[in-house]
Amino acid sequence: MSVEIVGILYGLGTLLLMFTGMPIAFALGSIAILFMMFFMPHSALDTVTQNVYEEMSSITLLSIPLFILKGAAIGKSRAGADLYLAIHAWLGKVPGGLGIANVLACALFAAMAGSSPATCSAIGSAGIPEMRARGYSPGFAAGIIAAGGTLGILLPPSITMILFSVAAEVSLGKLFLAALGPGVLLVFLFSSYAAWNFKREYRHALGVYQDGGVKSAYLDDTVLTFKEKTAMLPRVLPFVTLLIGVMLALYGGYATPSETAGLGGLLALALIAIIYKVWRPSQMAPIISSTLKESTMLMFIIGMSLLYSYVMSYLHISQSAAEWLVTMHLSRWVLLASILLFVVVLGFFLPPVSIILMTAPIILPPLRAAGFDFIWFGVVMTIVMEMGLIHPPMGLNIFVIKSVAPDIPLKDVVWGIIPFVLLMMLAVVLLCVFPQMATFFPNWALGT
Amino acid sequence: MSHGVDLPGAVAKRLGFNSEAPRWFLPRLMNVALTRINRLVVTLSMLAMLGSCAVLTSGVVMRYFFKTPTDWQDEISMFLLVGSIFMCGAAVQAQRGHLGIEAIAGYLSPAANRWRIWVCDILSLLFCGFFSWKSWTLLYEAWSEGMTTSSTWAPPLWIPYGLMALGITLLTLQLLIQVLNPPLHKTLS
Repeated sequence: MSVEIVGILYGLGTLLLMFTGMPIAFALGSIAILFMMFFMPHSALDTVTQNVYEEMSSITLLSIPLFILKGAAIGKSRAGADLYLAIHAWLGKVPGGLGIANVLACALFAAMAGSSPATCSAIGSAGIPEMRARGYSPGFAAGIIAAGGTLGILLPPSITMILFSVAAEVSLGKLFLAALGPGVLLVFLFSSYAAWNFKREYRHALGVYQDGGVKSAYLDDTVLTFKEKTAMLPRVLPFVTLLIGVMLALYGGYATPSETAGLGGLLALALIAIIYKVWRPSQMAPIISSTLKESTMLMFIIGMSLLYSYVMSYLHISQSAAEWLVTMHLSRWVLLASILLFVVVLGFFLPPVSIILMTAPIILPPLRAAGFDFIWFGVVMTIVMEMGLIHPPMGLNIFVIKSVAPDIPLKDVVWGIIPFVLLMMLAVVLLCVFPQMATFFPNWALGT
Repeated sequence: MSHGVDLPGAVAKRLGFNSEAPRWFLPRLMNVALTRINRLVVTLSMLAMLGSCAVLTSGVVMRYFFKTPTDWQDEISMFLLVGSIFMCGAAVQAQRGHLGIEAIAGYLSPAANRWRIWVCDILSLLFCGFFSWKSWTLLYEAWSEGMTTSSTWAPPLWIPYGLMALGITLLTLQLLIQVLNPPLHKTLS
């Protein structure tokens, strides 16, 4: 049987099993083992568990559970709400300051926690009710939080970036640094839209009021004194110090990414114990057990995705698909656009971890041949996968928003999110035109 | 219609999976035993995770404050984390926490969805059963041949392989209990 036919069967079999609703990890493992049985030497089956263990026992990959622990510790405390309230207090006078405060709080929290749903949940649970109480439309409020939360998979320590560094064999430190510029760009775009839409909704509310209608909460002014503003800072500073400390440990050469993850996890637990008095075993247990649950689910998917990729590579499916892409002689931008479109479509159904590990062997060789920088591509691909987090059917952040604010109709949430998806597309275009936004910082700090 | 924005296992739980203890004696006994084992395993895994953080942190402290680099910290933390992850597979499955694509769930009737989930459980059981068998043969090989890692510290590989075999076996048993106790009867009543 030709490689092409085997490849098509492999792809169809995967789709079929996955769409039954079987857990992704087991579906990937099953299809890999089935193809090993039929198309590989029988001895390959004897090493299947060794393969999975060896692929998983990478200290870089195993930093993922520890980064999740750090995120869970911060996410399950009041740190998110405190961070948000402090930023809000200081941005009170800026038009749309509340929306911007939410975007900034999401970005800072994402950089501490490294998780998109955790960011949405922590900032959204305080931010969405506050924005709605101040007159923001429900969809707008939901859109700000859902989009702000996506920064969790872009800003370091991003799990998606860790996986990309393993799949593409590029420096994790450089990838983390490369995400900073685009992260700031997205924060700027989201904040600008928040300010613009605030003014639009404010004008509408004012018009309604002047015509004798109901006075919207938009039109109420709340002014905090300087003393009230400074009183907000002490609770936030330790977490910002943790964020800076972890970055210094990583980039100052004091600790490897996995050591940084371990250190960050312990420090985050110590901070919530000191500041929020979360130190009893009964208080700590839910944080660590939820970390274990999420880590187990993710690492099973990662392990089986790696087995899946190994089989794909052994059967020359990935090489043939990559060669086919190269022989199409697409212009480099058409190639990039096709690959990103492919990633977007996969993002409808698959979490970023599977997308990276399953597609890397196919898409990276043609991109290398076309002269694309993998550090830059890692950032672009992550932003594209961020979109998958906020659009149905997978749209994990939409689910989190629904759990934080169940009374906002799904339709409003989706409409509120669309402008932010468009802004992400704009960010991708800007990164294509000005790749230095991603590459300058890592090249300057760590050399080319 | 779920629109796919469901947490792992939400559809199954909504349809009555995991809501009742198994009806037959042996699966019910297994369920009780496995629930206790899972609770113990999760507690030990929580400690292992904290231990792994402590080991990695101590590596940094030893290197910078005592000028004593360690060659064991990465492998110890790896064993602790890999062990925790495989051992917790069953506890996560007990809560149906392994992520799946539920896109078609919204298009099927509750009865069809119950059958779909049951078939998925059977397929998952077959996969995990096979993986479990191969894990035990790998453990036997590592034990009998005295296999170690390739580092200078060279700890024996039967430790992580043993945890993997045990964890996947627990996961297989968990799936077996779920396969033996589908709420399909609810559609008949």
